Amino acid sequence: MAKTAIGCEPTVGSLAPSKKREYKVTNRIQEGKRPLYAVAFNFIDARYYNVFATVGGNRVTVYQCLEGGVIAALQSYVDEDKDESFYTLSWACNIDGTPFLVAGGINGIIRVIDAGSEKIYKSFVGHGDSINEIRTQALKPSLVVSASKDESVRLWNVHTGICILIFAGAGGHRNEVLSVDFHPSDIYRIASCGMDNTVKIWSMKEFWTYVEKSFTWTDLPSKFPTKYVQFPVFIASVHSNYVDCNRWLGDFILSKSVDNEIVLWEPKTKEQTPGEGAIDILQKYPVPECDIWFIKFSCDFHYNAAAIGNREGKIFVWELQSSPPVLIARLSHVQCKSPIRQTAMSFDGSTILCCCEDGTIWRWDAVGAS
Amino acid sequence: MSSKDTPCASASRLDPSKDSQIVEASQSRKDIVSIIDSLKKQVAAERCVFIKKRMEENKEKLMGITNHVYALSKERRCNGINGTNKNLGLLVKRQGDTLGMLNGLDLNNGEKDTNGAQEDNHASSAVLIGTSFGVKNNIVRPIKLPEVKKLPPYTTWIFLDRNQRMTEDQSVVGRRRIYYDQNGGEALICSDSEEEIVEEEEDKREFGNCEDYILRKAIQEVGSSDDVLDLLAQCFSRRPCEVKARYELLTKEEKDALFIKKGNIEDNTQMDDSFFDKDLDAALDSFDNLFCRRCLVFDCRLHGCSQDLVFPADKQLPWNHPDEEKVPCGMHCYRLAQKSESIATMSSPVHDGLEEKPVPSSCSAGNQISPRKKGANPSAGRKTKSNQSESASSNARNASESSESEIRPRQDSASIHHSSSPPKAKLVGKCGVRKRNSKRVAERVVVCMRKRQKKMVTSDSDSVVSGCIWPRDMKLRSNSRKENEEAISSQRKVKTPPIRKSRRKESPIQESKKSALAEVHDEPSDEMAKGPLVATSDETSRKEEFVDDNVCKHEATGDKSWKAIEKGLFAKGLEIFGRNSCLISRNLLNGMRTCAEVFQYMNCTENKLSYRGSELRTRSRFVRRRGRVRRLKYTWKSAGYHSIRKRITERKDQPCRQYNPCGCQSACGKQCACLLNGTCCEKYCGCPKSCKNRFRGCHCAKSQCRSRQCPCFAADRECDPDVCRNCWVGCGDGTLGVPSQRGDNYECRNMKLLLKQQQRVLLGRSDVSGWGAFLKNSVGKHEYLGEYTGELISHREADKRGKIYDRENSSFLFNLNDQFVLDAYRKGDKLKFANHSPDPNCYAKVIMVAGDHRVGIFAKERINAGEELFYDYRYEPDRAPAWAKKPEATGSKKEEVSSSGRAKKLA
Repeated sequence: MAKTAIGCEPTVGSLAPSKKREYKVTNRIQEGKRPLYAVAFNFIDARYYNVFATVGGNRVTVYQCLEGGVIAALQSYVDEDKDESFYTLSWACNIDGTPFLVAGGINGIIRVIDAGSEKIYKSFVGHGDSINEIRTQALKPSLVVSASKDESVRLWNVHTGICILIFAGAGGHRNEVLSVDFHPSDIYRIASCGMDNTVKIWSMKEFWTYVEKSFTWTDLPSKFPTKYVQFPVFIASVHSNYVDCNRWLGDFILSKSVDNEIVLWEPKTKEQTPGEGAIDILQKYPVPECDIWFIKFSCDFHYNAAAIGNREGKIFVWELQSSPPVLIARLSHVQCKSPIRQTAMSFDGSTILCCCEDGTIWRWDAVGAS
Repeated sequence: MSSKDTPCASASRLDPSKDSQIVEASQSRKDIVSIIDSLKKQVAAERCVFIKKRMEENKEKLMGITNHVYALSKERRCNGINGTNKNLGLLVKRQGDTLGMLNGLDLNNGEKDTNGAQEDNHASSAVLIGTSFGVKNNIVRPIKLPEVKKLPPYTTWIFLDRNQRMTEDQSVVGRRRIYYDQNGGEALICSDSEEEIVEEEEDKREFGNCEDYILRKAIQEVGSSDDVLDLLAQCFSRRPCEVKARYELLTKEEKDALFIKKGNIEDNTQMDDSFFDKDLDAALDSFDNLFCRRCLVFDCRLHGCSQDLVFPADKQLPWNHPDEEKVPCGMHCYRLAQKSESIATMSSPVHDGLEEKPVPSSCSAGNQISPRKKGANPSAGRKTKSNQSESASSNARNASESSESEIRPRQDSASIHHSSSPPKAKLVGKCGVRKRNSKRVAERVVVCMRKRQKKMVTSDSDSVVSGCIWPRDMKLRSNSRKENEEAISSQRKVKTPPIRKSRRKESPIQESKKSALAEVHDEPSDEMAKGPLVATSDETSRKEEFVDDNVCKHEATGDKSWKAIEKGLFAKGLEIFGRNSCLISRNLLNGMRTCAEVFQYMNCTENKLSYRGSELRTRSRFVRRRGRVRRLKYTWKSAGYHSIRKRITERKDQPCRQYNPCGCQSACGKQCACLLNGTCCEKYCGCPKSCKNRFRGCHCAKSQCRSRQCPCFAADRECDPDVCRNCWVGCGDGTLGVPSQRGDNYECRNMKLLLKQQQRVLLGRSDVSGWGAFLKNSVGKHEYLGEYTGELISHREADKRGKIYDRENSSFLFNLNDQFVLDAYRKGDKLKFANHSPDPNCYAKVIMVAGDHRVGIFAKERINAGEELFYDYRYEPDRAPAWAKKPEATGSKKEEVSSSGRAKKLA
């Protein structure tokens, strides 16, 4: 990576804890022996803000956070294929509001579970290899996007079960895609990143008619004219190693590699020449001992804070939108030592969950917050 | 940053020296350092403020968005409550259960009773897990997700129906690639870095705004001594010379900026006329660079842009049309002009030497092609051979165009004989479409031409409609000379002012483009109507040898008033149409010059330019005749086959050679690129057809080119109807008429790749492993099944990719020739999934098709419908992966597998 020029230096957050908020462990669950790769709160429906789900092995489990650190297990789903190992999950919903759990993993099959009736709703077969991340479009929560080892990103309509678009090809990723995220307001935009060390921004504006068509499609899903989006609108080389997590922060992008930090940068696309463009690295959020890949961070609903675990079982909570960044808290517990693959922050950030490679779920609650 | 750099600077200051001068110098260096530091701090502070501001802005924006999303999620809750759908309830119900339990727990004073949770209709219920650690979560009864069969792994790939050359940015050479051990958890294995050192990005860094700022400020304050430059360079971590060069550039830019500000006002006025100053070469630039003369498409992905321009030594005959010779093309046709003059000049023909020899129509019939084809495409002659009917219809079209394109000045409105068609815009619209692809500049020229043209049309008064056009000629012919003069002068009058107007208006080009398109769509029906009309006319008077005095008057000034682009278009027109001012003015100079003007200019320039048309024509005729003689003598042993025969005999193990057309203008000599490269000359070469190195196809008829008796087949080439004598295929079901057949009644069977006559291949789960390709319909032995397409990559690239693919143990590389390897990993077709077998039912063959090597898959035996396709990958023995080795070889060579460089399929 080129050295940053003078006058373009990012603001780097200090690791000195600000003690803005203090958290303490209120619960711990040993779910099983297999590693847990993902945990997520349901932000799609206000009724379920305290409901979260985890995936690990061939199991998907739904819990509820109650007061006093109590966690209630609500539902549990097990894939009959014992070799399945789920890597990711995301909450979505049907157009009538039924809560859906969308999970995917090593088999490359996307499982859409109807949590309202506790049944499998649909299974999407199409990806040629394992699925590394699934995300839901908050503005249209029946659209989900999946990132896969088969070097493609695909857009699905969970309501009708249609694969609408495939983001791959001539300008696509050259290796596994590890992470993908919808732009919070620009409904056409997604950002993806992966093992080819790049972050790519795609636009589906020209293909939006197909997205609309997918909602009213009544024929077999396999007959839908799935389109390839071959060229991203922006390719950024921010990192020099695997990029395993990226999230939009407004029009900026938060991304991380294995360099012990999260980077906030601004893509500067040029209208005339799609694909090319400059990046402006604005801020950096250091995360010590975070040098292995497949560690993902999470934000609270309003993107005020982000929580990320590290290789040693510690969690760093950063205030995202202040400049310079402020480290809200550093969480550690003597018994929590294995790598934390993903965290989940509750709606207001008062509860932080983390899932570890040793199959444990930890709950941290802010002290003093009711 | 600043704190880091200061010690650096001071370190250089500490050189042990007692000389007072140096002390002084170091003192001043200290000053400089402090100044630079303060500047840097200033910049850094500004940057912080900037970031803070950006973050604030972003935060505000994001706040609005998240609040909106929050509202959406709340709405969903309301819907849920109001909704009557029972299914919605389960998750809510579970939530409710837990709350009840929690309350119950509270009553029981914290006593846990997880097993006492009430059973309900649904098997599982919520389970509470308290604050005590270590509670095992296996109490909720899991719901089973039925197994779904997963797909065999594959990488998402793009379908290609023809090979594509790799684009630069797809290269993996020189790119760092990091692997992880599939089984070993987190271990990162970096790519074989010993062979590539990645440093390209570091070489040239642009100077940022801030660096410029510091540079300028620092030099303003402390001057541009070597010390300053040195320290600045240190501060930017660059070389001093770079900094100096940059400073000089900056000062220059500043001066320029000042200068431009002053001269700004005058500049703008000249802008709108710019493309008229461009010459034709500039306008045709992208046509030359982007149009592929082999595939006849723009932006060809196979041969790439900026191919070497190869001009054929055999020139085509200039455009000629029998009807054109006889009928005035319009109001301003030179023929009319000279007709009116004819009484005066009848007995004294001027410029006798200019007389154009009419080409016998019988001869030219086969060579009539539309101007576009002719201009674009050296092998246009080929086209006309195969579809003569088309060219015939294009004759009619052109004739009809001629009838529609009269230029009608206002005076003419008195005469009733007008066609009702709105001709100009339409014609130019078509013209515009023709050029659209070729070049934006050229396009703009056309659009502007049309603008002018439209103005002219609108200046015409609406004339009364009459069905027939032709009587008008007679009438016009009888017009007096005076009237004609008037017509011309008034036309000039009409022409100029509206242009100004249209420029001022600056109507959006887009819109006019659209209208042009729309008009073109309308056209065909119009043509149909007009066609027969034209055909009936049979005017035979040809008097172009007479030059109108009236026109001659302008001779002196004529040359100067012609713009560069007009001259360029005229020259092109001469090349295409010969000395036919009607066609030149109509097709290339429409709206810019009238036929009479073109004719006059043609005569003016006659003395200066040597007209090569007739000379060329005779030469090409000569060559053609010679060619025909040769063809009669043609045998399998004729000299042209020397090299190819040599290759056939020697071939076998050697990879084929990539063909690149040579640009020889005469018969190829020793330095011919093709000869040196060991390939035959093809139809795309510049050399004449008589070239001894040419592959001259076959003249099989009855054998249908299916055996090695056919020279094409024997040389692993497909037949080419342009080259071979008797090779043809029928198309359609014969209801549209059978094309004129050459030779006997046998269709060529050696053009399947060219014509894409492939079998339907299905993709499915292989019976052996992973994916497999299956045949839909049964075929016989040696039947062509389909093409193995992919990206064309260099051998170097293939070596690199091969290593990556070896890790995944699946390779889609296929050796094509000495220059290229086909890679179907990311782009290809379904045949890439055909598996390897030592006892296959198919075979692959590299075949030369129209100058390109392509891979065809053929049936080795009869294959029934639904059978899986296999072929022998023919890996080089030492590089084959374990599974592709012959059974007897596997045992002995197992240890070599890991060290094998790459495995590539061979034909």
